[in-house]
Formats: sequence, structure tokens, C-alpha cells
Amino acid sequence: MNRWNLPDLGFGIGLRTTHFSHILENWPKIDWFEILSENYMDTGGRPLHVAEQVAERYPVVLHGVSMSVGSTDPIQREYLKKLKALAARLKAHWVSDHLCWTGVHGLNTHDLLPMPYTDESLKHTVKRVRRISEILERPLVLENPSTYLEFHASTWTEWDFLATLAEEADCGLLLDVNNVYVSSYNHGFDPYEYIARIPAGRVVQFHLAGHTNKGTHILDTHSDHVIGKVWDLYRFARQRTGGVATLIEWDEAIPSFDVVHAEALKARKFVARQRKVA
Amino acid sequence: MLAGLQSWMQQAVAKPGSDAAALRGAGKWVRPSSTLSPEQRTGIYRGMYLLRMRDALTVDYPGLAHYFGPDGFERFVASYVKKFPSRSYTLNRLGDHVPEFIRRQRGLKRREFLYDMARAELAMTEVFDERETPALTPGQIAAVPAEKWESARLIPVAAFRMLEFDYPVPLYLEAVREEEPPPVMRPRRTRVVYYRRDYALLRLDLKPAAYHLLGLLAKGEPLGKAVEAAWLASTPRVKEGALFAWFQRWMSEGLFGKIRWR
Repeated sequence: MNRWNLPDLGFGIGLRTTHFSHILENWPKIDWFEILSENYMDTGGRPLHVAEQVAERYPVVLHGVSMSVGSTDPIQREYLKKLKALAARLKAHWVSDHLCWTGVHGLNTHDLLPMPYTDESLKHTVKRVRRISEILERPLVLENPSTYLEFHASTWTEWDFLATLAEEADCGLLLDVNNVYVSSYNHGFDPYEYIARIPAGRVVQFHLAGHTNKGTHILDTHSDHVIGKVWDLYRFARQRTGGVATLIEWDEAIPSFDVVHAEALKARKFVARQRKVA
Repeated sequence: MLAGLQSWMQQAVAKPGSDAAALRGAGKWVRPSSTLSPEQRTGIYRGMYLLRMRDALTVDYPGLAHYFGPDGFERFVASYVKKFPSRSYTLNRLGDHVPEFIRRQRGLKRREFLYDMARAELAMTEVFDERETPALTPGQIAAVPAEKWESARLIPVAAFRMLEFDYPVPLYLEAVREEEPPPVMRPRRTRVVYYRRDYALLRLDLKPAAYHLLGLLAKGEPLGKAVEAAWLASTPRVKEGALFAWFQRWMSEGLFGKIRWR
């Protein structure tokens, strides 16, 4: 169990507009949904209406891409105010975003841009995560993004940076196992060492997804099934954390609800097998 | 160091112009990998930036995307985000300036038609995202005393936008949505209202007099005055029965959310 006693929600998938009709017509048996915060913060239309109905029937968490935790721009108070209101409205179990920055000087690239892993970055990010958690009145949960470059300035490994940040800022972790694999391929590190160094008691959620291997590098496209090496890494991570909410992400060429759901059920079967073996 | 690095990287990712110019100097900040140079690694983010902007604007402006075609729309998006880069945490409002941007493109072929189409598509996204406000119920309508109708003022629901076009762009957009060849666009004054009912985005085509009347009501004119003004302005004069039929239709479609009378 994590240090905040946040529940193991089981095996869920991301709520996507292409699946709205299927969900509303069938109310499928699924453990939980992850809702993309920014898609529901500024709408009073159908997406929010559907999200509210989903939140009445299933546990939900909010996952964002625009908090820009590592940016040197001021914290976006208006954004956090809306996020907090949405989390309350949907009774979200937790709120997550990424260890990254999305823009500076008032601009937003809408990408999860990598942080340099330095003492200065760590101090800066710890301070911001603490402040954001205060504003949200709940511990922030941070995800490791996929990255495609490394900075000369970095003096920390990503995993030590993330682990230290989590301890010093007292935040939760969303361990994206596919992202660990993608970054390990792109930067040539050992993904098992990464996962072994992450404080298991702070992991409140896992992400799993497919990716696109371009040969020279891997892109985190969320466009396919989870590959075997990522399932292996997930097994290793689960051994360390025990039962932790697990979610399948699928955002490009999104197949039917049943296909995405089947991928989540694969994780459930996989964990059940693991328990039997143990 | 952090602020300097972020300023540099944002320029490398989003600066308009050639990739080579934007990525110059990447080696100062970025390590090479065993397979990619610093410029190539940074270029991955740069390549994804415009694609993300294009994808977001394609969702909101499918008509423009269809008209320009894949390459043309990509060029359009590149010049648009150069002028109006995202300053918001959400991509939902990235396209808010598209009509204005098109209006100022003096050399753009078929600018008036494209401006009309952009206004229609922007209005549709606004109506889609508007807050939900309840429509007048039959009970609320019945509660208005007969003698008060003349001075009653009707307030539209929030998800309500009236537009007047020089071209019949709703027909073009309908064809694009149905994946059919769009009709040739020739000037034809066209008046519509976009609104939402049961969370579905709907359109009502309006005759000139109906548009005039609905516009007066939406501006808060008392019903009696609005009907009289619309009737006097209509040529040929509309029949009283037609006015009543329009009014009934607007009520049943849920265009009004409140009614006030003294």
C-alpha cells in the first residue's frame, strides 16, 4: 500500500470520446477510468456530461498534460483552480501529471518537454510540486514521461531525480512502464535499474501502452498493443509495489472499446498468473 | 541555467522557419545518442510540434482542412501558429483566431468563402463546449399571463450562435462531414443558428425575416416590438401565421432559456 492509502483501483483504461457511445449503451464491466483533465475543464458540453455519468458508476482519476510542473514560468493558478473543481466534481481518486515542462514566456508547446536533471531543477521542481499539492489540497501524482533527448547539464539519472523529487516534495508516482522502456531504448540505460530505484511505496498507478520503434529511437505513440518486454518490466515493477492501479493508454488509431479493454484484462490475467506462481 | 535551457528549447521546438536554423546550436545543450545527433534528437520534438497543432485544428476546422488538402492545411497551420501560438493550457481554443487570421490574408484565394466557413466552424466549437443551461419548459411558457407576452423578453440558452454568411457554407460542411464531394460555392446569402439540444449540436436555417426576428429577440427586444419590427422590415410582408410557426419551432427546439416580463 502506498503512503496515502490511495486504493488499488484494479485494471482500467482511458476514457476516450470514440468509446462514449459504447460505454453509455453497455456500461461495460471495467474496474475504472482515467480522464484527461484538460479535455473536460473548459467544456459544458457532451464530454463533461458523459464524464459525469461515468464518474457516477466507476472510480475515476484525472490525468493531465498541461500542469508544466518543471517550467520556469509562474504556476498557473487559474488552471489549478479549474483542475481542483473538476476533481471535486468527478470525485477523482487522485490527480496526476508529468515530470516535464510544456512551455515558457506564456506559450504552450503542448508537449511533455524533458527536464535537465540538475540540483537547480530538483530544487525548483520540489518547490513547485509542494505548492501545487497545497493548492490542490491533495498529493500530486507525477508520471515519468518518455524522452527523446538528454542534456549535457544533467548530473542526476532520471530515476534518482524522480525518486528524490518524490521524497522531498512528498508526492505520489505514476510509473509509466512503457515510458521507462522507451527512454531506456533512446538513452541506453537499464530499465530494470530504473524501476529498482523508484520508491515502491510512492507508486500509486502504472501506465502501460504500445509504442512505435523507428529503429534509431522509439516514439511513445500509444498506438498499439503492449510489447512483451514491457509486460516483463511490468511484472518486475509489480513485484516491487504489490497491487497498484494499472491503466492501458491507447491514443492513436484507437481500436474498439473491447480491444482496449482486452488489453487491460491481459494485465489482470497476467497478475493472477503471477500470484499463482508466487 | 534552467530558464536559459527552457528558452532555447522552446525556440528549437516552436520557432517558425527552417528546421536547420531552429536547431542550430543544439550540440551546446543536448548530448548525442549512439544513433542520433543532438539536432536530430531535438528535431523529434520540433517535428511533433506542428503535427500536434495541425491535428488540433483539423478537429475544429474539418471544412478548412478539406478545402486546403493535407499539404495546404499544414502550411496554413504553420503560418497561423506563427501569428497565434498557443497561450493556453488547452488546445481546445487554439483555433479561436482563425476567422480573424483568414480575414487579414489579403492574397488568399476565395478569402470571403473561407472566412465564412471559419466563422461557422468556430461557432460550432463554441456551441459544442458552451455550458449547459436549461431550455424553457412548457410549464414556464404557460405561466406567462396572456397580456404580458407583448412585453416579455426572451433570453437564449448559452449554446446559441446566430450567423449570417455570404456563401452557403453549412452545405459545404455538411458534405465534408458526410464524406461526399462538397457543392461548388457561389455567393448566396445564408442565415443560420447553431444550438445544442440534449448535448447534440444542431443547425436551423433561417429565412431573412426569421433571422431578423430571432436576432431582435436574442438582443433582448420585447416580443411585441420585435415582431412588429421584423414584420415591417420583411419584403414581401410575412404572414402572421408564419411568425407564429417560427416562434413555436424555436420554443420546441429549446432556443430560449429564460423569459422575463413585467
